[in-house]
Amino acid sequence: MNRRVLLAGLAITIPAILLFVVSLGRDPHKVRSPLVGRVAPDFTLLQAGSGAVVKLSSLRGKPVVLNFWATWCVPCFAEHGVLTEASRQLGPNVQFLGVVYDDKEEKILQFLRENGSAYPTLNDGGGKTAIAYGVYGVPETFFIDPSGKIVAKYEGPLTPQLLESNLQKTAGRS
Amino acid sequence: MTATLGRFLVDLSLLVATSGAMVGFAAGFRPSASGARLARRFAYAFSALMTAANLVMFYALLTHDFSVSYVAQVGSRSLPTWVTIASLWSSLEGSILFWGLIMSIYIFVATFATRRDHPEYMPFAIGVWLACAAFFAFLIAGPAQPFLTVASPLADGPGPNPLLQNHILMAVHPPFLYLGFVGMTIPFGLACAALLTGRLGHAFLRPLRTWLLLPWTFLTVAIMLGGWWSYEVLGWGGYWAWDPVENASFLPWLTATAALHSAIVMERKGTLKGWTVTLVLSTFLLTIFGTFLTRSGVFNSVHSFTQSSIGPTILVFLAIALVWSVVLLATRIDRLTAEGEITAGASRETVFLANNLLFVVFTFTVLIGTVFPLVVEATKGTQMSVGRPYFDKMAVPIGLALLFLMGVGPALPWGRANGEQMRRALIPPAIGGAIAAAIGWAAGVRHGWTLLTLAFGGYTLWITVREIWLPVRQRMRSRGEGVGEAIVASQIHRGRRRLAAYIVHAAAVVVIVSIAVSSTMGKVSEVRLNKGQTTKIGGYELTFIGAEERNEPHRISTAARFEVRRDGKLVRVLEPAMNLYQGQREPIGTPDVMTTLTHDLYLSVMSIDAGAQVVGLHSMVNPMVGWIWIAVGFMGLGGLMALIPSRRRPVTDRDDVLAELHPIGSAPATTLVEEGG
Repeated sequence: MNRRVLLAGLAITIPAILLFVVSLGRDPHKVRSPLVGRVAPDFTLLQAGSGAVVKLSSLRGKPVVLNFWATWCVPCFAEHGVLTEASRQLGPNVQFLGVVYDDKEEKILQFLRENGSAYPTLNDGGGKTAIAYGVYGVPETFFIDPSGKIVAKYEGPLTPQLLESNLQKTAGRS
Repeated sequence: MTATLGRFLVDLSLLVATSGAMVGFAAGFRPSASGARLARRFAYAFSALMTAANLVMFYALLTHDFSVSYVAQVGSRSLPTWVTIASLWSSLEGSILFWGLIMSIYIFVATFATRRDHPEYMPFAIGVWLACAAFFAFLIAGPAQPFLTVASPLADGPGPNPLLQNHILMAVHPPFLYLGFVGMTIPFGLACAALLTGRLGHAFLRPLRTWLLLPWTFLTVAIMLGGWWSYEVLGWGGYWAWDPVENASFLPWLTATAALHSAIVMERKGTLKGWTVTLVLSTFLLTIFGTFLTRSGVFNSVHSFTQSSIGPTILVFLAIALVWSVVLLATRIDRLTAEGEITAGASRETVFLANNLLFVVFTFTVLIGTVFPLVVEATKGTQMSVGRPYFDKMAVPIGLALLFLMGVGPALPWGRANGEQMRRALIPPAIGGAIAAAIGWAAGVRHGWTLLTLAFGGYTLWITVREIWLPVRQRMRSRGEGVGEAIVASQIHRGRRRLAAYIVHAAAVVVIVSIAVSSTMGKVSEVRLNKGQTTKIGGYELTFIGAEERNEPHRISTAARFEVRRDGKLVRVLEPAMNLYQGQREPIGTPDVMTTLTHDLYLSVMSIDAGAQVVGLHSMVNPMVGWIWIAVGFMGLGGLMALIPSRRRPVTDRDDVLAELHPIGSAPATTLVEEGG
């Protein structure tokens, strides 16, 4: 038994194995947003169709699920059903908001007619709100607690489980 | 039905590999001819079963049998046949199955080729190979099962990742990479066998070296093909980005290259046995590490497969292989006694030693840069990435030192060189360095590192050519042969392995110089052009003559057409394009490249509007890039040439051998000399 070889070998391999074990759950697509932990940037947008004015800061007092999406985005299609269903179930306890990025009003309305809607859908015409939130690919969803602070961000289509686990974070801090 | 048959074959291959591994180890510990024969039969049976499973998958892909889960995932009726074939390795499950195919071929050939030799080592080697094979068969049978039955199959599928459909190189690059990666299992098995028996005799060096050189050759070409693919397809104009997955292919190449060199010292001097074996084991471990990186979803990369469930399984295998290797080395390395020693002072072997250390430093440098983001995230929780500046800063000086040693090593004799020998060997080649640097200066190179690379390149090339020429001249003088005759006799017939090594070296010089020049001397321009407008870059005039949309079965291609003029004369029409694949929403750009002997004109479109006839053009002039592909091709050819078996023969003509092997003169240590050096 060559102890030096053993020790040197283990000194390299054991930390390496541990590192890989720790890294296994890592999702390189999940880039942490610097906005998490801060007050959500305020915006005033018009609701698609009705033209009603929605101001984010006026919604404080309950959790907000802010979902950036677009009709041309394939994963958003599947996600839409999850959000609509959850919004119907949770009712007035949680405010869902859809913000449509880089899209046309007619297309949004057609999409909502075909796929149903349960919460306000806002048209981010110039994309300014998406820029303020650092959106770099739809769908992206921000979870805002009752005090108006962003507590979580998720990139990619939400599943019912992911939606619930992220929503719990908004409750934990209120 | 097809899926069931596939599953059956995979399950059976798992059973056979597991049993075969046990038989191999049993036959290794209690040597018997019948045990060894049985182990070989298990190896053949595994190969047959795994190959059959792959044929079943090819059949399912080609017949568009969407009841097989993998075909449902990547198949599509609209695909050209080559894409359908290449889709076997376009996605996770299929790529592991394909891994199994390559492994089965390697195991079959290696087992068959050694069936009469090395009876004390081979059962162990077969045992190790089949243990690795059992792991991959387990992956295919379980976590990455491609043969699931789809209950209600659809009429058509989505086709593979469009990036992979975009270029024919995608059909070529992965097989080469797998031939390189999987092939490292064979030398790993042989090295383990040497450790398990506690012996590494001169005779066993030959299979070890051969089976290391073969996958090394494939890996060399594969890395180049990967760079070429990236260059031709991705449209950013580069060929290497120090992407974690690229690094994963480069790491085992570094250690394998080091091992090939230390094996020569081992052959000559009977030393560095434990070291060489360690390098061989590391090479294999790094291939598994690379597989973990690409298949676990830990890293984001253009090459990697997305989030997968096989990450943990591969990690378990990597951990077992790591611990096994460390324990095996620790318990057995002292038995591999050296028969000679390396004395201090300037000699070929000390340069080999320095070369080995540099390769290992290089390996650690790249490895640390690759895993550093993981370390930071695990310890501090912050996300970061290690970019090109780190890698370039580290790689340039190490690469330059290696380039220089590649010249110094062959110039020095084995044993010990005296002052006069060293002066004669090392000073005249400086002329070559001066010439190369002067040519570079005249061509406008002002970048310090690039000039230094040229100088070292010229120096090493001078020595390399001299080393090829010297035995030819000796032969012409001593035997009065003509040039042609002497070249054939001294290089092709007798010194083939030596010539092959120098071809690889000369090609490597060209690669390093081309990389230096292309990465520091390029020109870039980005412009927006309307139809009919012209832009200039590096002596070319590019006129946008219009964009058009073409509907192909599997994609819509929007091509922008450019007339390329030089000195007013039309030289070529280039058509960079944007391709929109079925079922995708973002188009993928495809550059168009005009390659000349000195540079490439590289056009890619950033945006294109066929309606308004406006294009955003990214154009580059990249000097010497074409030389990289050509030179790496020669490295591959050199590798293959060195693999052609040469006969062993007793030394009859001592002077002749001396002249061949020791052009500057020093006594050979052995009386039995393998042809070449």
